[in-house]
Amino acid sequence: MTQEISSLMDGELGAQEAGIAVQACCASEERKETWYLYHVIGDAMRGQAPRRLAFPTQVIDSLKAQPTVLAPRRPLSTTLARVAFAAAASVATIGVVGWIGGQGGQGPAGPMVAKSDSNLQPVASTTTLPAAQPAPDLQQYLVAHRQIPSPEFYRQVDNRVPARAR
Amino acid sequence: MRVAAVASGRRLIPALALGVACAAQGAPGNDPLAWLQRAMQAARTATYSGTYVHSNGGRTSTVRITHANVGKEEQERIEPLDGMPYDIVRRNDDMFCYFPDAKTVRVDRRVTARFFPAIIEGTPEAVASSYEVKLGRAENVLEYNCQWIQLEPRDALRFPQALCSEVNSGLVLRAKTFNAQRQVIEQYTFTDFKMGSGAAVRPDVKSIFEARVKRWITDSQPRDEAKSVDTGWAVSDPPPGFRKLAELKRNLPGRPAPVSQLVFSDGVASLSVFVEPNSPPPRTADASSEDGTTAFYVRPMGETLVTVLGEVPLGTAERFARSVARRP
Repeated sequence: MTQEISSLMDGELGAQEAGIAVQACCASEERKETWYLYHVIGDAMRGQAPRRLAFPTQVIDSLKAQPTVLAPRRPLSTTLARVAFAAAASVATIGVVGWIGGQGGQGPAGPMVAKSDSNLQPVASTTTLPAAQPAPDLQQYLVAHRQIPSPEFYRQVDNRVPARAR
Repeated sequence: MRVAAVASGRRLIPALALGVACAAQGAPGNDPLAWLQRAMQAARTATYSGTYVHSNGGRTSTVRITHANVGKEEQERIEPLDGMPYDIVRRNDDMFCYFPDAKTVRVDRRVTARFFPAIIEGTPEAVASSYEVKLGRAENVLEYNCQWIQLEPRDALRFPQALCSEVNSGLVLRAKTFNAQRQVIEQYTFTDFKMGSGAAVRPDVKSIFEARVKRWITDSQPRDEAKSVDTGWAVSDPPPGFRKLAELKRNLPGRPAPVSQLVFSDGVASLSVFVEPNSPPPRTADASSEDGTTAFYVRPMGETLVTVLGEVPLGTAERFARSVARRP
């Protein structure tokens, strides 16, 4: 069901599939929490946490229990899918930008997500973040450092910088 | 049957290891630096194509690469196979990023961008000053005989690495980065690979999207940004082995003014130091994260915000962040 909730947020489901997923989601407190958790992660990715972070302890506990998803993604095609992309991508990259929680910035907050795949040893990612500070946007700096623009990033730049015709 | 075949293959490995370095034509004997030099040169001068998987911490991506050397010009096409479609065509240090959905070509000058297998930036001598370069074992990778080259850091400021160099050409077919506990935290590996005439690379490498769009919009802004400038900022005490590669001003989304970027490298690992106004609401405490080889350290300095991001241990990133000062 977690996969369906993620797909629903990604806008990857058709109308019928989405209807079923919404019904199934609303029928269970646990699934509602998952839905809530994914949105909080999405908010954090966009630097909007902790606006909706009403239950930080549960969220952090859930994060600790979440494996990083390394499964290949289905291609996104609709505008809706792109809107939901940042939030959904966070589910796959919690280990990279898990900026929720922290103990006043004093030392690592401890392993938040343990990962494993066939090639890599399980290695914990650590994050520290002072309380009540929005998440720094790692992605922007990563893109600038590696000089490998993502199409999403490029669109944002494109809106601000007048492009010259060739 | 399969089990028996594997077992007999294992028995061959010691013989393979012994013979590999001597038998290969043009292989540089037992000199580790010569192997490293040849691996770096082959990545630039050889013709090859293939698909590789890159895993770093929690991220995995798949990339198709096409590389040729035409009249001393390096031509390369990088096609990420995951996510939204785009590709990058590189001609020496000029990079053209094609975004078919936005009908836009982003033109940039290469500063930090490095694509496997050309992941080593510095000279062998620069690398050797920060890493002990050693030859490891021989291994058969994708049915090619390969020799592992190990880069053991001389201090805790960088990660150990290992490159698997194809014996005849020198090309690196696999590369690994380890943490201090010798766990693999980053890995590149070709899943299919062809070289020379077998790679069937046309002499004029183009974007796979070029013909799909009639009229491309060109954005040359990134190339203009990549020009060296004096940002007024400096790292007063860079850790040993790291030298400054570039100093520039980059536009980041949502920022009213360009952000200063200082790029450092020890020949293998690189990092960027970003300096910008600590815009409201200002940050007041340090923050950091670490995943795979990527360390991220944010340090507020009053009205200024310093951010360090690079492929180094977190302690190295913090050390850089604490050494940023106005240029005297």
